[in-house]
Amino acid sequence: MGSPTWLEDHVEADGFRIRYVESGDGAPLVHLHGGGGLVMTPAHDLLARERRVIAFEMPGFGESPENTRHETMPDMARTMLEAVSALGVEEFDLMGTSFGSKTALWTALIAPERLRALVLESPAAIRPEGRRPQPATPEELVALLHAHPERVPPRPASSIEQRARTRPMVTRLMGPPRDPELEEAMPGLQVPVLAVFGTEDRMIPSEMGRAYRQLLPRCHLLFVYDAGHAVAADRPEAFTEAVSDFLDRHEQFVVSQRSSVLFP
Amino acid sequence: MKAALFNIVPYLGEAERGMWPVPARTYSSEVGRHSMELALEQYELADELGFDWVTLAEHHFAPLSLSPNPMVMAGAVTQRVRRAKIALLGATIPILNPVRVAEEFAMLDTLTNGRVVAGMLRGTANEYVTYDVNPAESRARFEEAMELIIRAWTEPQPFGWQGRHFRFRTVSIWPRPVQQPHPPIYMSGSSPEAGEFAARHRVSIGFAFTTLPLARAAAGHYRRCAAACGWEPAPDDVLYRVTAHVAGSDEEALEDLRTAGADAPRRGFSTSNRPLDDAAAGAGYYGRDTAAQRGRIDAQSRPMLERIEQGQLLAGSPDTVLAQARRIREELGAGILEVVFAHVPREKSLRAIELFGTGVLPRLRDL
Repeated sequence: MGSPTWLEDHVEADGFRIRYVESGDGAPLVHLHGGGGLVMTPAHDLLARERRVIAFEMPGFGESPENTRHETMPDMARTMLEAVSALGVEEFDLMGTSFGSKTALWTALIAPERLRALVLESPAAIRPEGRRPQPATPEELVALLHAHPERVPPRPASSIEQRARTRPMVTRLMGPPRDPELEEAMPGLQVPVLAVFGTEDRMIPSEMGRAYRQLLPRCHLLFVYDAGHAVAADRPEAFTEAVSDFLDRHEQFVVSQRSSVLFP
Repeated sequence: MKAALFNIVPYLGEAERGMWPVPARTYSSEVGRHSMELALEQYELADELGFDWVTLAEHHFAPLSLSPNPMVMAGAVTQRVRRAKIALLGATIPILNPVRVAEEFAMLDTLTNGRVVAGMLRGTANEYVTYDVNPAESRARFEEAMELIIRAWTEPQPFGWQGRHFRFRTVSIWPRPVQQPHPPIYMSGSSPEAGEFAARHRVSIGFAFTTLPLARAAAGHYRRCAAACGWEPAPDDVLYRVTAHVAGSDEEALEDLRTAGADAPRRGFSTSNRPLDDAAAGAGYYGRDTAAQRGRIDAQSRPMLERIEQGQLLAGSPDTVLAQARRIREELGAGILEVVFAHVPREKSLRAIELFGTGVLPRLRDL
């Protein structure tokens, strides 16, 4: 099976002009990227085989103008909900990566009736106290994000400049390592959630995963073995299989449907 | 130095030798029951004599061992051994269900109130045939299984595992281990890959089926890798397994071994099925220094005096055996000496254990 074609376009929402890429048919899956901006991985291609994947570039990231308007993550979430509506999508599955997981959580809390299920990839909404490591070079960035940096092509030098440019916004929207407002709201969220951590995550220890399982009433915690913070990039097939199965079956995905018959 | 007594639970009756698997045509349930009972008696005696550990292992499809599932055997041992630690060296984790292994170790740790040593091994090449697992995937399965087992012991919330070789949608084991964060882990340190992995994961290593010079080189590699990972293994992080026989004098000990045929070349496991072992070796089972790894196993069939010289066999009076143990402590830096008493007639074997317990063990502490 070849890679699907991605259509790139912009949508006007809440006074922003928001870039997005889209591919596939079926139930819509909206993806909100991490703090480094929109990075496509093979998992996007794999997910687009079975569903309509819409990956946004949130205001302030990429080539878009600096975003000083959003004060808090709920502000960003409200904008992204409008962007989804502007594409004519009412109900959808939502996936957030790292920084985008916090956006996704707030999106779910603001409009739970529009969400079928929520996937949090290496979520950064709850973090250990202390400063997060800030890579100074593309090599350091790759080493922080991936379980096996030697297998990953180097990122362009601009990736570091991009991160520096968006850091004030990312820091502002990300908030403190523990966000009481968010954590007080999480137990009320009735949407099924899959929280995914790589066992080799060097940005956020995978042990943070248990906090989501504890706070969210319908949360499943999943460890992807030998994946770093960039789970979908490190183990795209493993990531996609679990995410797809969860989106299709929610809590029932714990019941295996694999046949063990070798020969009839 | 600490002492462990290893008993492989041999079948003590007639059986065909020099092959694997071994037909059960001559198997007697009476002899089988008796063999297990004697092994349990030996563990019990070791506990009374003050051995620090008693050790069990996993081997399949041969009279060499009636303990294909050491967890079951250890369950029985928990009811007889009240003081010593119970070491399983190991569970052959690449051919097993890692979640089940985590559960079984946690059960044993609970039954013993925290006296379990969790050995995790790859086993010999033939073990892969028993449960139809590709030996080429042995190391990858081992590494993943160990991480999954540790996660199952330590993660307080139910979790799913999306591995390469193992997939579980939800894991939440009961009971939990008594020892926190988890029981001590020992793995084989013989190959360079194993030493590197053990150093990276800060787990202890053991040597069996080797020679003292080969073990010394491998332990050096492990310690250098550990230093590179920012830690220094303690003496107890290195275990050395060796066959032993103790008698009143050196001459008597050597004569016992000759009479019992214990000086004959030892065969078993993969060495008894060369085509099988060749196939596993061809699949990459032995890793990047295949020749050395296979040579280490072949070295088990050297003549008796040479095996004593190479640190593969402790034999003699208590004084002589103590001197041989001192050499292992000094040359290898091993903190745990694991002895398997040579297969000699029962009375001599019991006397050897008692002589070791009274004449060697107390002085071993000071090494």
